[in-house]
Amino acid sequence: MKRSEKFRRANHEAKVTCLATLAVILFWTLAGFGLSAFDISFFDTPLWVLAGCLGTWLFAVCVSFWLAEHVISDVDLAEEDACRMKGGHV
Amino acid sequence: MDLQKLTSLYPVFLFLLALLYISYRVQKASKEARLQDFAKDYFIGGRTLGGFVLAMTTVATYSSVSTFVGGPGVAWQIGYGWLYMAIVQVVVVFLVMGVFGKKISLVARDIDAVTVIDILRARYKSDSLCNLAAIFIVAFFCATMVAQFVGAAKLFEAVTGYSYVTGLTLFGIIVIFYTTIGGFKGVAITDAICAIAMIVGMSILFYGMLDKAGGYSAIMNHIRVHDPAMLEPLSRGKMPISLYISQWLLVGVCTLALPQSIVRSISYKDTRSLRSAIVIGTVVIGAMTLLATWVGVLSKGILTNPSLAAYGGSVDNITPRTIVSVMTPFWAGVTIIGPIAATISTVSSLLLTSSSSIIKDIYMRALEKNGKSLSNRGIQRFSMAATILLGFGIYFIAIAPPSVIWKINMFAFGGLETAFFWVMIFGLFWPKANSTGALWAMFGGVVAYCTTMALHIRLFSLHQIVIGIGASLIFFYIGNAIGREPGDDVKRLFFPDRFGDDED
Repeated sequence: MKRSEKFRRANHEAKVTCLATLAVILFWTLAGFGLSAFDISFFDTPLWVLAGCLGTWLFAVCVSFWLAEHVISDVDLAEEDACRMKGGHV
Repeated sequence: MDLQKLTSLYPVFLFLLALLYISYRVQKASKEARLQDFAKDYFIGGRTLGGFVLAMTTVATYSSVSTFVGGPGVAWQIGYGWLYMAIVQVVVVFLVMGVFGKKISLVARDIDAVTVIDILRARYKSDSLCNLAAIFIVAFFCATMVAQFVGAAKLFEAVTGYSYVTGLTLFGIIVIFYTTIGGFKGVAITDAICAIAMIVGMSILFYGMLDKAGGYSAIMNHIRVHDPAMLEPLSRGKMPISLYISQWLLVGVCTLALPQSIVRSISYKDTRSLRSAIVIGTVVIGAMTLLATWVGVLSKGILTNPSLAAYGGSVDNITPRTIVSVMTPFWAGVTIIGPIAATISTVSSLLLTSSSSIIKDIYMRALEKNGKSLSNRGIQRFSMAATILLGFGIYFIAIAPPSVIWKINMFAFGGLETAFFWVMIFGLFWPKANSTGALWAMFGGVVAYCTTMALHIRLFSLHQIVIGIGASLIFFYIGNAIGREPGDDVKRLFFPDRFGDDED
């Protein structure tokens, strides 16, 4: 893969990661503050605590899994080392 | 009593000895690699970290003694609002690795970078900027290390009954030695073990608390009757919205730029490791934050006096007193491995990054400018000497820290974020960003941040990090307008997608 293509992908992945972070912030807001208006409890714990804390964690794990599996692609980093050895970019 | 004291000491002592032994083994295994290129092996582990170790070392470095002592103490006072605020840290690992992870690794391999400052030097070609960055790293890291040592030694004293200096000497000396001999690889592997120890320690405490208080329902019932504000996100005014916004910036989004996290992006083996570290790191940091802070909330059912004065008037006493109330001496000794592991894993990483700044970024660069260089053996001697001397310096300061250390420590976390946030982001994603803009942003931002912190000036009740980051951004744009655009070589190195490959 050409070096320019690797950087193009890295830029795209960085942008998607920022959007994913915004998605976690949105989830956290709705699950915590949003649900705190309701007086509902499960297992002696207010629903907003379960959703806003445990839920946000699980949502973030799902987001990280999606990033790792579907957004961040594998590139051969050994090519960069080999290129440097040949004096490519130094 | 003496036998009880000794019983609580055994687990910590054995744990520390195990870390020392692992570091020794790592040093033996790295002998060949160090003979070839000492700096690369010692400061970034020869770029061999796999996904699990990468994730655990990132989490362990980020989690500090305050994750297990200060934070849970405040949670005892505030309630679930504090847990809701602490959980914002779940984005920390995937954010830094997703945004910087691949790009920094590509550039680092191209230029054979060993430190974050190597990346800055290649990008901005400014010795002034790199020296300033090295000074900020060393000053802020040293203050943080002292604070970590003090926090853990106080906890050790409160739980085991041994003196503050005994605790400090025990884990202080061992962490200095294992960092010095093990280098980055040793630190990363011991960090991984520390991260596991943190989760195990908190799980044991969690179970012990529930057992002692008669179950989760009993504790929740106590909270509902005696302090219902603990069940509300705003905690009846104790947790204003501005605090939540501030924390999202301070311990969430802006942690993106912490040099101790970024350097891990230089050290991993392949992109598969990066991808697995993103998932594992998010799982672990969330579990750790939830466990440690939830323990703080539930300790309300153990330490039931509503007045903090009953517990020595400091939230830092809550975790040690909970441990002592709930656990037998042996299990108390096992439990405090968690917070001590958090301390030593943070200290070991900061110590190594500081010594790399002093030797690689300042000393070796100064030699290079005078047309001299160090042999591989010279680098080995100087690097290890810098690590051990700096470590002992921190240890001696921690015995009786002067007040200035606390002031620097207060500014350290936000100061580092302010110094590196725009400099790193623009450096990697904006081709027109130049050295004047970066220098102004780093210096101006940190001055604005520290000044407003010292004078308690806030904008809309938000933490001063907002002013620091905002001022840094403005300074960057002004400086950038004055400075010269980067050369074509820099643009091709950092932005080949826009300015063409070398191979084209």
